Amino acid sequence: MIRSQRFLQAFTLAAALQILCSFASAQTLHIPPHEKYVLKNGLTVLLLEKRGVPLINFYAIVKTGAAADPAGEEGLASITAGLLRKGTKNRTAQQFSADLDYIGGTFESEAGPDFSSVSAEFLTKDLDRGVNLFADALLHPTFSKEEADKLLAQALDGVRGAKDDPQQVLGYYYDGYLYGTHPYGRPAGGDELSLTNIQRESITSFYETNYAPGNTVLAVAGEFNAAEMRPKLEDVFGAWTARSVKPALIPTASPVKTRRLLLVDKVDATQTYFALGNVGVARNDPDRVPIRVVNTIFGGRFTSELNEALRVESGYSYGASSFFDSRKAPGPFGIFSFTKNETTAPAIDKALEVLQKLHKDGVTEEQLKSAKSYIKGQFPPNIETSRQLAQIIATHEFYGLGDDEINQLEARVDAVTPEAARQVIQKHFPAENLVFVLIGKASEIGPAVKKYAEKQDARPISEPGFWPPPQKK
Amino acid sequence: MKNMWFRLAMMALFCCASLLSVPVNAQQEFPVVSRTLKNGMKVLVQTDHSIPNVALYIFYRVGSRNEGAGTTGLSHFFEHMMFNGAKKYGPGELDKVMEANGGSNNAYTTRDVTVYQDWFPRSALPLIYDIEADRIQNLSFDPQKIKSEREVVASERRLRTDNDNGGLLDEQLWATAYLAHPYQWPVVGWMSDIEHWTIDQLKHHFEMGYSPNNATMVVAGDASPEEIFQLCEKYIESIPTHAPPPPVVTVESEQLGERRLIVRKPSQLPLVLVAYHIPQTKSADFYAINVLRTVLFQGESSRMYQRLVDKDQIALDVSSSVEPAFDPTIIEIAVQPKQNVDPQKCEKAMYEEFENVRNTPVSDTELEKAKNIRLAEFYREMRTINGRANTIGTYEVFFGDYTKLFDAAKNYSAVTKADVQRVAKAYFGANNRTVATLIPENADEKAKP
Repeated sequence: MIRSQRFLQAFTLAAALQILCSFASAQTLHIPPHEKYVLKNGLTVLLLEKRGVPLINFYAIVKTGAAADPAGEEGLASITAGLLRKGTKNRTAQQFSADLDYIGGTFESEAGPDFSSVSAEFLTKDLDRGVNLFADALLHPTFSKEEADKLLAQALDGVRGAKDDPQQVLGYYYDGYLYGTHPYGRPAGGDELSLTNIQRESITSFYETNYAPGNTVLAVAGEFNAAEMRPKLEDVFGAWTARSVKPALIPTASPVKTRRLLLVDKVDATQTYFALGNVGVARNDPDRVPIRVVNTIFGGRFTSELNEALRVESGYSYGASSFFDSRKAPGPFGIFSFTKNETTAPAIDKALEVLQKLHKDGVTEEQLKSAKSYIKGQFPPNIETSRQLAQIIATHEFYGLGDDEINQLEARVDAVTPEAARQVIQKHFPAENLVFVLIGKASEIGPAVKKYAEKQDARPISEPGFWPPPQKK
Repeated sequence: MKNMWFRLAMMALFCCASLLSVPVNAQQEFPVVSRTLKNGMKVLVQTDHSIPNVALYIFYRVGSRNEGAGTTGLSHFFEHMMFNGAKKYGPGELDKVMEANGGSNNAYTTRDVTVYQDWFPRSALPLIYDIEADRIQNLSFDPQKIKSEREVVASERRLRTDNDNGGLLDEQLWATAYLAHPYQWPVVGWMSDIEHWTIDQLKHHFEMGYSPNNATMVVAGDASPEEIFQLCEKYIESIPTHAPPPPVVTVESEQLGERRLIVRKPSQLPLVLVAYHIPQTKSADFYAINVLRTVLFQGESSRMYQRLVDKDQIALDVSSSVEPAFDPTIIEIAVQPKQNVDPQKCEKAMYEEFENVRNTPVSDTELEKAKNIRLAEFYREMRTINGRANTIGTYEVFFGDYTKLFDAAKNYSAVTKADVQRVAKAYFGANNRTVATLIPENADEKAKP
């Protein structure tokens, strides 16, 4: 699963989380025991002790993400998260980095469509300094104009640089073309125009509105003693002032009812990168387990139908895969691959053929058995580290999923019948109505891809924004 | 990790294992049991029952340095062919059987080694050994598979090199930094060589590189040394040994002046890569070079980040990498300038920072920080069975002895400020560097004379 999904770097954090959380085995593995409590200010705390190596991981979810970015200011949640470490009440950006690096710690903060996340890792012996640093960034950022300008300028060039590598931006074009003006269509990292629209006031206001204890889940996992950890957290996070936050509501997007194709022109491309699909499912969809099993067979592992057809049998591509990036509201489903310019249409034809075959023939008993064993066998390394566990318990809390998501998954996987597989194929895998997004050399591949949809759109990759083309504010 | 080539686009935990620092009692924390089989293959086992899974790595000491003109990329192509059918498990069967039993696999090739990786539940142990023994002894070369796999590798090359600015520039950097030694050509191979390998060349490569005494097997996870050694006796030990690859005798001459190259192509941002020749992994200077590298490049408090990204605001990112190597290698520095910034401005700032560390010793705090970072990274690598298998194997293969992993703490502690200054002077001078610059050129500019 991971190997094919890893191609899709642009398909956001939520996709990565899904990989971590979707496979489970109950026979021998359970998520380690952990406790949950809520501080007086509303902060939800999750503690999980894990022995093995002397590391401690912090993972905080602020329940507002890029889907809450105002139109025209895409990237606001991401910039806000990025600035947390760039100057606090107690440290300049430079001091923060010096203190963090001195103890060999790591700190990351980012925004996905559904939520923002702040994470850090420290050696157990540095716990006190670590908690202090982590809380300083989360609770006391100052958002100086100088640092905001610096980060905005970097983010802007980051978007430009990403456009030099089709793999990095295919997901943004795909989400945009699939969702249009729906919040999931917005590029989480912003674009060349939106980033120039973001003012410091918007950043501080985004922070004040959304970074509140009642809107945050904090998970801590690793080698520590919970009895000693609780007062430390109470000390630092108990002082966080309670504020009421209106929960971010994300409307449900309907699947596209027709076919359309976007061709993004990259004049020097010798290979076409393509994604095709439709709106998929939400993270808590009751069919999520049978969907996982079927998608493993269809495009979620090396011997998947897609990879067999586009790589093993034809040599069209180094890899082909399919994904459900399931989110709070239904997220995208897509088939992804790439091939040299000359074989663009044959490769897409082949992908469509595999999709039709799935609808026509379904999956065999043998495939089902194999996929179940694969999912169960590959699962344990996904809950091996405190870093993974902190992230899993926090995201489960956010999405309202319980420990059974892992503890019962083996049983749930085993329970998937051929009939259930048939039903999810019909219900969740698109057949005729598809959105196509291609990045490639338009002059060479344009004519061959006309046949896929009557409605065709085109943009040069060098033009600002993704899709829809951004309007000057 | 530009110089590693994979069967699949999976970025597992590929550490620069050689950089680690470890606590004094680490050997007891992560005990390793080793045995050398009668056919010369060394087997290392690190048992850990925290998850019911096993990571199995086989390192073959053969890579693109064992190739020649016309056959560049053969080691990597061969790596792909190792999944395409043997006697018992025919074309496509290896993957199907492995996945149906809960396992997965990958492989990577570097200039020095080819490494095969299996990740699986412990219930699949005998099967994995059966598969590995089958392909090590009885690989088949189906002409149809060679044809389609050639296309797959060409697609991989387009993905990582031809359509990736960093990959493209990296290829030219190595080709310029080396005039004589086989490190000069890309691991994936030149496209024209990819198109022309023959079955006979593949067979020859197999005979040359895949002798058991040219391999090291590392097993980490839910398996005891006894059961692994029993499986080895049953499946691996009887595989006959033969001559390992002939030694690579070519030695790169000392570089006598800066080398520069330019790539012009449509692009939004420029890119700069700078290489300095440094000794092979086994060299005593390795630890001091890594301390210097940490001070200069690691984290946002590093000197280069502070200077180029934070203060001068001329770059988005600056980083360095060194890969384990049998022969004298290069440290590769990547600078991502901001749009419309003259790349030479970035170079100038970077060279000034090098000048500073040559002239003045680094501070006590910086030295201490570097050691702390190495310690934390040791645990980051060793926290998973996959990281352990890769790290233990890398030490065994490139340092000649896995126990060097547990001596690293001592070796890092011994590094002084004077050592750091000495390696800065010895290796980071203008005459020893190669500079590759990508300059954006848009279609309309191309038309100009």
